[in-house]
Amino acid sequence: MPETPNPEAVALFALVANRYGSRLTTEQLDEIRKMVEGQVEAARALRAVRLTNADEPLQGFTAYRGEP
Amino acid sequence: MSSDLLFKPVRELAALVRARQLSPVALTELYLDRLERLGPKYNAVVTITRERALSQARRAEGEIAAGRYRGALHGIPYGAKDLLATAGTATTWGAAPYREQRFDFDATVIGKLEDAGAVLCAKLAMIELAGGMGYRQPIASFTGPCVNPWDTDAWTGGSSSGSGAAVAAGLVPFAIGSETWGSILSPAGYCGLAGLRPTYGRVSRHGAMALCWTLDKLGPLALTADDCGLVLEAIAGPDAADPTASERPYRYEVADRRGFRFGVIPDVTDGCEEAVIANFRSSLDELRKIGTVEEVALPDLPYEQITRTILQVEAVSAFEDLIESGRIAELTAPEDRFTPYAREAILAHDYLKAVRLRGVMAREIDRVISRYDALVAPGRINEAPRLGQEFRSAIRATAKDVMGAVGNGAGLPAVCVPNGVGARGLPTSLQFMGRAWEENRVLDAARAYQSLTDWHTRHPKVDERLSE
Repeated sequence: MPETPNPEAVALFALVANRYGSRLTTEQLDEIRKMVEGQVEAARALRAVRLTNADEPLQGFTAYRGEP
Repeated sequence: MSSDLLFKPVRELAALVRARQLSPVALTELYLDRLERLGPKYNAVVTITRERALSQARRAEGEIAAGRYRGALHGIPYGAKDLLATAGTATTWGAAPYREQRFDFDATVIGKLEDAGAVLCAKLAMIELAGGMGYRQPIASFTGPCVNPWDTDAWTGGSSSGSGAAVAAGLVPFAIGSETWGSILSPAGYCGLAGLRPTYGRVSRHGAMALCWTLDKLGPLALTADDCGLVLEAIAGPDAADPTASERPYRYEVADRRGFRFGVIPDVTDGCEEAVIANFRSSLDELRKIGTVEEVALPDLPYEQITRTILQVEAVSAFEDLIESGRIAELTAPEDRFTPYAREAILAHDYLKAVRLRGVMAREIDRVISRYDALVAPGRINEAPRLGQEFRSAIRATAKDVMGAVGNGAGLPAVCVPNGVGARGLPTSLQFMGRAWEENRVLDAARAYQSLTDWHTRHPKVDERLSE
């Protein structure tokens, strides 16, 4: 029995297909569908880790001012 | 010019140059001849910079004769991955859509090497767009698949493919590569070389193709770990043109030390070929002669998902114009022409979660790694893949690479060196990963390992094989 598609992956794949489907072949779209499913799995792993309000991105932003 | 000079480390060539027993011009001509004659057979070269090289070599020769010796790279030829801007020649990024691209300035690394007196002989082949579009086969370059000098049916690894092939084949004594995730350690490991991935921010990225602004590092591939240190000293340092280039000073200091503390992550050999595992165990036996080896657990975090998510999103953003215009269809590898579209479906919230988790990862790994001189692991999970074969990659989630995910995600330095051969007679490798800004410590360890082993003194029989 085929696995039930992940609704989130289906929705996100639809977004890609809607934006770029006209320039992609059926085979390419099928590969992209699998990649999106993998990305959703990766996102689940990220979301499973709890962070606190103090957990900021490591990279810093600095205000820019040109000379002088 | 004697072929005995080939495969001499930079340090030995430098001693001869300094003593005026070796002419930089003659040395440059030797390597230019090899680049022209053998470079195409490995698909290793994009552009040979003959005029610039001979001009720099003549200047070096004159300065040294006048007593103005600049240091270990003075008069030493090298090659640069073709993602570094060089005035006067094309900078192709390995990709057909950019094959005519020109810049009117030199990348900071190229300028620093010029200041050190090094001689730029060639722009070296690379995987298109440094592999950031999701390639899964060696053909992903408009110059063709890069051929491994150890076995002409094998790939060099990537994305600094030509840098690996050129040093391994004795076409240049050292080369500059770049790593976002694996692009220095992979070709160094597969080609039996030393490769150094510096701490993120140690080397200016100005003038280098941006694949991922927070992951890209530039570093050397050479015959020994010692040579990597010599090159790093020349290219490290702050740069007003790259705000991420650190003000922290770097000086390569050679310490003949023992008493190292090495850590090994549990299951770090999962998925490795049998010979890689056996060679790694032998390496640990060697390392026990110069220090202690203990297993060390990492906190449970989704390391690979963190770094992969950041890489995928930054790469599609960096090449937004190429992707949106549809010109991505001009790339060589079929998978590179459509894979990036999938990444458009990564949600901003998930990307930012990865970026926040990266901070947790960086703090946690620093807490662990600060107790050791280095974490050690196989440099690659396998011998070099065959040319016509799809390869496994952690970036595509078809292989495990926790060391690569942590090291690149947290911006940590690592050096890999050869540690044996696999079932097909190709090099396998050992990596040492250290705390941020501790390049000297991982180089000390790698150099100590190389003092106990002779894998780095073995080289492919380049000319004979090609004349068959």
